[in-house]
Amino acid sequence: MRVGARLANWPLAWKVPLLAAGLLIGVAFVISQTVLNRLESDQENNLRYLTSAYLDGLSTAVLRSAIHADVWETFDALDRARDRYAGLKVRFAIVALPNGKVLAASDPLKFPVQSAVPADVEGRFPTQDGLNIDTASGRAWLTRSLREEGYSVGRILAEIDISELLRVRKQVLLTLVAVNAGLALGFAIFGSLALRRMLKPLSVLSGYVERVRAGCADPIPESKRQRISREFDLLFDRFNAMARALNEREEFASRLADQEKYAVLGKLASGMAHEVNNPLGGLFNALDTLRRHGDDAEVREATLNLLERGLTHIRNVVRSTLVTYRRGGANNLLRPVDIDDLRLLIEPEASRKRLQIAWVNDLHGALPLVIESVRQVVLNLLINACAATPAGGTVHLRARATESALSIEVGDQGPGLPDDLAKYLIGHSDEAPGTGGGLGLWIVRRLVADEDGEIQVIQENGFSTVIKVTWPLRENLSRSDRAKDFVGMEAVHAE
Amino acid sequence: MPPKSPLLRGEQKARFGRRDMLAGLAAAALLWPMNAARATEPVSIGLNPLFLDSDIQLLSLIQSYLAAQLGRTVQLIKRRTYQEITALLLSGQLDAAWVCDDPYVQHEDQLALLAVPLYRHEPLYQTYMIVSEGSKAQSFDDTRGTVHAFSDPDSTSGFLVTRSLLALRHTTPAQFFRTFFFTYGHRNVVRAVATGLAESGSIDGYVWDVMREREPELINKTRVVYTSEKLGFPPIVGLKSAQETTTAKAISAAFLQMPTDPLGRQILAILELDGFTTADPGLYQGTLEKWLLVKAQA
Repeated sequence: MRVGARLANWPLAWKVPLLAAGLLIGVAFVISQTVLNRLESDQENNLRYLTSAYLDGLSTAVLRSAIHADVWETFDALDRARDRYAGLKVRFAIVALPNGKVLAASDPLKFPVQSAVPADVEGRFPTQDGLNIDTASGRAWLTRSLREEGYSVGRILAEIDISELLRVRKQVLLTLVAVNAGLALGFAIFGSLALRRMLKPLSVLSGYVERVRAGCADPIPESKRQRISREFDLLFDRFNAMARALNEREEFASRLADQEKYAVLGKLASGMAHEVNNPLGGLFNALDTLRRHGDDAEVREATLNLLERGLTHIRNVVRSTLVTYRRGGANNLLRPVDIDDLRLLIEPEASRKRLQIAWVNDLHGALPLVIESVRQVVLNLLINACAATPAGGTVHLRARATESALSIEVGDQGPGLPDDLAKYLIGHSDEAPGTGGGLGLWIVRRLVADEDGEIQVIQENGFSTVIKVTWPLRENLSRSDRAKDFVGMEAVHAE
Repeated sequence: MPPKSPLLRGEQKARFGRRDMLAGLAAAALLWPMNAARATEPVSIGLNPLFLDSDIQLLSLIQSYLAAQLGRTVQLIKRRTYQEITALLLSGQLDAAWVCDDPYVQHEDQLALLAVPLYRHEPLYQTYMIVSEGSKAQSFDDTRGTVHAFSDPDSTSGFLVTRSLLALRHTTPAQFFRTFFFTYGHRNVVRAVATGLAESGSIDGYVWDVMREREPELINKTRVVYTSEKLGFPPIVGLKSAQETTTAKAISAAFLQMPTDPLGRQILAILELDGFTTADPGLYQGTLEKWLLVKAQA
């Protein structure tokens, strides 16, 4: 199974030629087998024909001698017949009498006159007239009865060397194997090269698809579409159409994100106006008090303090808004105050709904992160949390940092995040959230992904939904850069 | 007791004089008109498979030589066994035959010696008992219990000598040897022993010696363990009844004159003989004694 799975992963440019070579080897095997079987059958027929001719000649020559039990004449006939049959290598021939004794043999030293034919030799020969073939030893054994007027006068037993036939057979087999192996290899190489050439557009396509995955949906240029087949031409057309659609969608999404930002801003604007307006009444009252009782140092001091607090509040609200929606030039160091600022932005909405805000900010010092992105994510989560939590409930925020990451949890006491929204948020689903989810979550997911962050949706006691976002700290910022940015930021805040 | 034979008078020196030859030629000239009709018939000469029985070239040379010498067509008759040639000769179907000394002594009363070969300057040869090269046998008696190859039942060297030695030991081939067979040719005896078909064999010493030079690879697979005494060389014989005919005399002359003719010398070189001579029956005394001994035992 594992081998099969591994094979399935092989590239097409290998698999197809290998398959072709495999098929060729299969066909070659069948053809070779057929040829060899035919050769074997022909050789056997030929051997039968030759041995029959040999035995016909020999039996005629020795019949009279066998009848007379004439040792010399029998031997002479056997001896002369030895080299007379081309293509037949007779190892030995025996003329045995009906009593089983040797009348004469072509090899008298091995089979002496009047000795019994050895049982092991006798056993190799067919008991009736015929031919026994043993390819393992490369020998064949023939038996032919010598009969005169219906009476047996003896038998001819001959051992034939058929190693030459087997050698020819082996040579044919080797030739077949060599030719077929050569053909299979040739076809495999040719097939591989041809297929690789044919599949070249596929690797081009694969490269561009990979770029899409990396976030760059470039269409395939005309220069890479030269001399390709019609199918690939069509495929490239479709890919380019898809790339264009992706680019349009990306652009649309970017525009949408901006719009959302301003929508949030609009929503907050009224809250902010309210927030500015609230102290304004008090400030005017303070001015009036100063005008009337400014001479009294105590009253003046208290009124000025009041004025300062009111103006500071207004300044903080305005600054926070400015930081969140400032266009261009990303700030690269996030300070604890950048998170705390958000509380100011959410407070009008919270107080409107009489919500408690449980705010735990454990951050110390600046972190190498894009402030805009983090703040917008957290603000969106806080707005959603406020919207979900019923009047009188509590919204909580907890910010913590480790050596390598920042994590911020935002919890609410709402009815809970629907499953599809939760899945979408944590990246387990690409299904765009339906109505009710709002654009907010979509933007959260996108901004977090841009910064290689991670979103978790967890349940916590006392809160129905806790969304935890973790941002990895950016490593490419050196400590000196961080210090510089920090000084810069301080300067902005000091303005 | 064996019948008394002229041969028992003792061995005599073989001789053939110039006078005899001239007389023969004169007789032939006188008889010419009378024999004119017969002259058209071929002369039939039988040859026993003494040696080199497959040498077609030698037979062709002998035929050409005799035809030229006799001025007539010559037919060389070969048969598988000595007995067949002897039968043809005795029944008058052959004008002459080169036979073994055994058939000659058996039918000495009917046969006349026309010429006797000279081997190493004498009309004599020996019988050898051979064994295969690897055999442990060192003497004739060591061959007891072996498979034995004889040449021909009517051959002196190929059967009679061994048979007589066994008779002296009061035994027979069937008792002495494990088994035996006839090869009907001296060269075949060498082949049988060399290949291992037989473990021992009885052979004409002359044939074995000639073969040692011509087929050493075959002869080297055999070894001589017994050499007999010298016996009269197988002769060329004709019927006694036709002994005085022109043909018989011409045949005799043709053989005797062989060394004087180039073709004849070529034949003698192949046969490794020095020539032919005349001899009286006493030359075959030794053969006769052996035959009589065997016959007595039988």
